[in-house]
Amino acid sequence: MNTAAVLSSALAGTVLLECGGEHGEFAGMLLASLGAEVIKLEGPRGSNSRRLGPYTTSERGPEHSLCFSRYNLGKKSVSLDIDHPAAREALARLAVRADVIIDSGEAVDVARRLQFYRDMQKANPRLVVCTITPCGLDGPYRDLKMTDLTHLALGGVMASCGYDPQADGVYDTPPIAPEMWQAYHIAGEYAVISITAALNFRELTGEGDCIDLSIHEAVSTCTEVAIPTYIYNGAVVRRQTGRHAAEGRTRPWLRRTKDGRYVKAFLFWGGRDVRVITEMLNEAGIEHDLESESYRELHKRSPSEAQTHFSAMIDKLVASMTAEEVFHRAQAKGLLWASVRRPEENIEDPHFQARGTFQPIHHPELGRDLNYPVSVATDGHDRVTAFTRGAPRLGEHTQEVLSQAGLAAADIASLAAQGAL
Amino acid sequence: MASTETARKRPLDGVRVIDLTKIVAGPNATRMLATMGAEVIRVEWHDDRALDLLRGVRPLAPGGEADSVNRSGLFNNINAGKYGITLNMNLPQGRDLFKRLVAGSSVLCENYSPQQMERWGLAYDVLSEINPGLIYMQITGMGKSGTYNGYLSVGPTAQALSGLTHMSGFPEPMPPAGWGYSYLDHSTGYYGAILVLAALLRRRRTGRGCYIDLSQTEVGLMVSGTATLEAQVTGQPTERHGNRMQAADWAPHGAYPCRGTDEWIAIAIQNDDQWKALITEIGAPEWGRDGRFAGGAGRKANEDELDRLMAEATRNAERYELMNRLQQRGVPAVALQKADDRCERDPQLKARGYFVPLPHSEIGTWNIEGFPAKFDKIPADVGGLPHRGAPMMGEDNDAVYRNVLGLTSEEIATLREDWVI
Repeated sequence: MNTAAVLSSALAGTVLLECGGEHGEFAGMLLASLGAEVIKLEGPRGSNSRRLGPYTTSERGPEHSLCFSRYNLGKKSVSLDIDHPAAREALARLAVRADVIIDSGEAVDVARRLQFYRDMQKANPRLVVCTITPCGLDGPYRDLKMTDLTHLALGGVMASCGYDPQADGVYDTPPIAPEMWQAYHIAGEYAVISITAALNFRELTGEGDCIDLSIHEAVSTCTEVAIPTYIYNGAVVRRQTGRHAAEGRTRPWLRRTKDGRYVKAFLFWGGRDVRVITEMLNEAGIEHDLESESYRELHKRSPSEAQTHFSAMIDKLVASMTAEEVFHRAQAKGLLWASVRRPEENIEDPHFQARGTFQPIHHPELGRDLNYPVSVATDGHDRVTAFTRGAPRLGEHTQEVLSQAGLAAADIASLAAQGAL
Repeated sequence: MASTETARKRPLDGVRVIDLTKIVAGPNATRMLATMGAEVIRVEWHDDRALDLLRGVRPLAPGGEADSVNRSGLFNNINAGKYGITLNMNLPQGRDLFKRLVAGSSVLCENYSPQQMERWGLAYDVLSEINPGLIYMQITGMGKSGTYNGYLSVGPTAQALSGLTHMSGFPEPMPPAGWGYSYLDHSTGYYGAILVLAALLRRRRTGRGCYIDLSQTEVGLMVSGTATLEAQVTGQPTERHGNRMQAADWAPHGAYPCRGTDEWIAIAIQNDDQWKALITEIGAPEWGRDGRFAGGAGRKANEDELDRLMAEATRNAERYELMNRLQQRGVPAVALQKADDRCERDPQLKARGYFVPLPHSEIGTWNIEGFPAKFDKIPADVGGLPHRGAPMMGEDNDAVYRNVLGLTSEEIATLREDWVI
């Protein structure tokens, strides 16, 4: 593993305690890739995500969830139940030497623990606390029961995603929530922005801070033109198949290829696009009339009809090639098209192999490695962030972490005996 | 609460960012930095090839001159809190001024087409000679290194290639629904901000700058959930699942029609308690007696029938009223909100001060989408240092060229006459 990645030292020496539910796991993982020592306090039953699929084998034990292993790369696991009365002393010892605490879950639970964290900030004023809750720690929706799906519905993402209405403009399909955990991804990214900003603030002031992040607000910021369209024009965008939601109907982007796949082939309707596509039709030996006088006449008489005709020619072009052929040939001509790939089809792509996009992580229960998408950036050669380990086994670091925090073996045994570990 | 001394401080005090970005992905990254107190200076130019297309994108603020480049609501939303200058990078004099700006800055963010900076002679090796502490983040669709380094991309391209388009929608034979907007422009902006904030922490410690080659498609892979892992374990290609939950036996799980035109409620049942509460509230006791729906596994196995029954049961309900009734019983259920709902009806966004009115020098004061977290101390202000919406084209030429580069009024006037600024 590449431990010399440029930004994997950015948070070196930063100790982060990750408490609570699955909402904060993505944030903790991203911070681990920047070099933070992320200690997950997940209780004796383990994180909720250990009970979510998919699984590596037919077993359903805590070490078989791919959901857990995906969102907990690079962390340490301590089986301390932070809500157990006997755990307070251990938690205080951990918090006093920590730089960051992330706590996520329902507001009522997080708010109860927040007072303890604020007390810890008196002993450790450099501590940064970030709570991640469905709708924030105050307001009329504070206690809504929420999931990834309901967040994408309430926050406006689903209203922009789905299929075209019927010819009469009436929808016969529901809005769609894109898979999966996108509300938690968005909230996690904002949490990391907030935490790294607070760490910059701490460098300037010597002081920590307390952050109250609302998943609902985070999702709401992430709908592009939908809110401005309403604010400025009083209009509501309508969902369409495979392309941007818009006030009015726009032309399709998805087109079927020879191998039964799709490409996203859109047009900006500039002269250059028309010329390039004409060239591609000629090269593919497909008969067309785009260079004829009759087409030019049609274009003059009815640009809309001409565009429909032109679009049909693109359908013909796309249908003559595989999705990957369309992608590479179009890109060679400077068109911004791409094949609609399944995510796993990128693992073997030489481009992503050259960039180290995926990192093999060993799974003992499978006896082999799985390739995880881990990197979004390089320094021109190597990836800039890295994980030094895969996801932890439940309680794998309990002894190590609690000993380092100053607990004697007898104290740890006592915690276990009381059910706090 | 904050001490008086630190109350005025912001995380990125003293950090100057040169913002050579367009459309949404790059500008969204620098928007986050402006919110955290960086002095973000957008560098733009008038001619068709250089002009940020977003300046012309609808919705436009009503009234004003038809050819104004200062009226786009989306541009105003994404570029709030920044300063704006014009600079003709195609002239040697323009590039010299650019180098002087870079020499006095901490960060350069850029998302032109992949080879443009080399064509201008402004690649990282040149700029880091001028400013060894420079953090230069280049955002491209696929990534600058690797085999696709000449490929062009916008958000929908990266969404197609990364697998996000494929993963949204109903299973075959339905086509993908994809995302109804450029989700990866948002997410890439968040990642861009994260990586720059981390690089700034590293620089505070080491004094060293770095080059970051951020790939929008790789961001898509990072947020593709567990799909790549599951495909490696099962050997089966990733499929779509509509609005259904694949990671657990959560059913019903979807969007169900309500009274009105294209109105929906999203409901996610995670356990038997929620199921019983749902049955009680929507008055369908016979569902509880139907052995097929006993337990999560039973409901999951009979999801087609369950969805049909659900749609019948919700069809005549008012969506907010049903949401309130179900939420009172602890059921995750929410009205599926469109933009008008979020702007006008959502009491939580209102109570938390989500929309921030900010002045714009040409179009007046408009609501801007805020930052989704509250801090005890950090003033996370989307209005940034100038506390306003987006800059007009070249609005801050005089202030920036005088105060940052120390040019005289006469020199600025000459540059203007020579079409350099």
